[in-house]
Amino acid sequence: MEKYYFEGYLRKEGTAGTRNYIGVVCSVICSSVIANDISSKVPGTVPIIHSNGCAQLGDDFQVTKDMLVGVASNPNLYSALLVGLGCETNQISGLLDSIPKTKPVEGIGIQQLGGGENTLQKGVHIAERWAKELSDKRERLPLSNLTVGVVSVDIDEESLEKVHPVVGKVIDSLVAHDATVIMGITDTLAPAGPLLSERSEKKEVRAELSNLGEESYRKRWKETNSKVHAARNFSKEEKDLAALEAKLAGTSTIKGLLAYSENAEECGLYLTKASSNLVETLSNMISCGCNIALVVSSRGTLTGSIALPSMTLTPKSADGGAFEELVDYMVTEEDADIQSRNVIEELIKISSGKKTALEEYGLGEFSIPHVGTTF
Amino acid sequence: MKTFKGYRRANGNIGVRNHVIVINTAGELSSFTKKIAQLVPGVIPVIQQGGESQYEEDLKQTVRTLIGTAGHPNVSAALLLGIGENSIANEVKEYLQEQNHHVEALHFNKSTSIATLLKEGKDWLEKAVKKSKAEKRVTADVSELIVGLNCGGSDAWSGITANPAIGSFSDAIVNDGGTSVLAETTEAIGAEHILANQAINAEVGQEFLKIVNDYEARIRETGEDIRSANPSPGNMTGGLTTLEEKSLGCIKKGGSSPLREVIGYAESPTEKGFIFMDTPGYDVESVSGLTAGGAQIVLFSTGKGSPTGSPIAPVIKIGTNPQVYKMMQEHIDVDAGKIIEGLNTIDEIGEEIYQKLIETADGSITASEKHKNQEFAIWRLAETI
Repeated sequence: MEKYYFEGYLRKEGTAGTRNYIGVVCSVICSSVIANDISSKVPGTVPIIHSNGCAQLGDDFQVTKDMLVGVASNPNLYSALLVGLGCETNQISGLLDSIPKTKPVEGIGIQQLGGGENTLQKGVHIAERWAKELSDKRERLPLSNLTVGVVSVDIDEESLEKVHPVVGKVIDSLVAHDATVIMGITDTLAPAGPLLSERSEKKEVRAELSNLGEESYRKRWKETNSKVHAARNFSKEEKDLAALEAKLAGTSTIKGLLAYSENAEECGLYLTKASSNLVETLSNMISCGCNIALVVSSRGTLTGSIALPSMTLTPKSADGGAFEELVDYMVTEEDADIQSRNVIEELIKISSGKKTALEEYGLGEFSIPHVGTTF
Repeated sequence: MKTFKGYRRANGNIGVRNHVIVINTAGELSSFTKKIAQLVPGVIPVIQQGGESQYEEDLKQTVRTLIGTAGHPNVSAALLLGIGENSIANEVKEYLQEQNHHVEALHFNKSTSIATLLKEGKDWLEKAVKKSKAEKRVTADVSELIVGLNCGGSDAWSGITANPAIGSFSDAIVNDGGTSVLAETTEAIGAEHILANQAINAEVGQEFLKIVNDYEARIRETGEDIRSANPSPGNMTGGLTTLEEKSLGCIKKGGSSPLREVIGYAESPTEKGFIFMDTPGYDVESVSGLTAGGAQIVLFSTGKGSPTGSPIAPVIKIGTNPQVYKMMQEHIDVDAGKIIEGLNTIDEIGEEIYQKLIETADGSITASEKHKNQEFAIWRLAETI
């Protein structure tokens, strides 16, 4: 077996970044403008801004907090500056307590510093200091340092038929090279839960996956209690389409079903919850420790993630058929083995610093899923 | 009779600003919304992160909010961004065009290149900005104003200074034939009986009690106590001890006028006078609901100092104490802390707020406008699918 390497930024705790950003993270939407202003003044930073952070309760708040802790901890960030307002539910002090002390992390607040102008100055000062420390030196690393998020979005049957032989082999090959792969379970994939469950060796994982095929695990308005799920009956068409989508996941053993922001314990293939809101899904993948993503769709996507290089893959169609300029790889009729190697090589180039099409266009966002309403 | 100068729209409504906006109907288009807005100076990006793969309750709320926002009287023209053929963007466009609003939808689809779409967007916005510059302010009566009432970062002074002063203003504008809309259902919990008694009739009172009760029921279903999110940590350092205490102060913004109507999130009042809108205590979502419901200006009291604004309406910040005004002057428009210092009475600050409101309606820029605080978010109900 051919051995693959990529050029990445090795972090203290042994993980590796494919990018070397200074993250400017807002704790709440109320500090998003200042966080964005700080980032716009210091090259090398990325603004990690979102609409959550206050008036949240229970699980919904926990998801927000965990996701921000996860993104701040992600190896694609050299350091993280947390920018808060002061009176929000999601306190900076709580975030600082939860983020492992493996990289430079600081927190500032608008109310504590007496206004936006002071916060901007202080934030720019900290980010500039880090920008000076930033080393651009990448080193050769094995794929065991790569955690690849795989997600499909808006994909139809025809496209699945074309791309699954290639994507399935890509995932199997990544797993064979000791990479970690985290695949998103979208709403369309959920009916394949029982089928996927057969690929796990662990009893509890099998049970969790089986359940996905029987009940919706997404919360509705007025039925917020997590113990009450709307029972769902999937049609044969839904199950067939899901079975086809499941082929994207190749044939490797499924090691576990990760909760939002949960990191994989060892290398191998994992599944995690994903929605058709691509930005939310990619944000969760950053938080789960992914350092690169592969996005599979029929049409190409109009945004990626702000801190996770997102390689896009679509089928090649005769009429152009996709936002071609935003797509990194188009699957053709060529042999699937050859194409899967091509995809892995492109993935490695991107992991080593080559910009994705979405990065070239400067298209990247961050947003946090809600699992309940705001109060 | 109090008047201001605003922009008369084709449907008869009057705006206090003349914005040209770009607004996304799907979260995936957030980045392009910024990019397209940046192509033409003066265009405001209105960005929201939902819009796709939502349960029906969220979809309806999203469409209603987008219609209210793109068709807002402060908006001269709106460019809606959508994906594919049957998008929300088309639905919103068609609805608003029927009412003679200046809107267009730009669809990202597989047959058009990105460069072509960016050019189409830029051309439309350039024309829209040019057209907006030719529009002139005309005199209008304050009875045509809808004023949203919100608070954020409350402290123990909120219920003693800024909120009663806003209440005094609210009574004055209602007396002049205008409309004030109190929001934030969370912050009525514990004081709902007082507002219910203010209702014009038993039916409105019952409707109000129902939204508060539903709110509490939802909170109980999460297995949490609302008191763990509210008062927030900042409220407590500001001296508030319980939600009831916060609520008793909060509802003072409504003054003593009869409560005429209770409306849903992002719905427009059908009556003039004092109204209540069902919104969450989450400020940005609440203010976005108020503006989508037609509020041309929002009053926002703050004890801790909050910089947030709106891309659609000027937000007037009213500080509750002298310290916050001194510390955070860049974010505050009116100092209600003068009441504590004995310099002014509650009614005098109410008059000052009214005066500030007229100046703002005439075009004077608020602190949040100056700092380009254009936060926007739609109240989220359920999980993304």
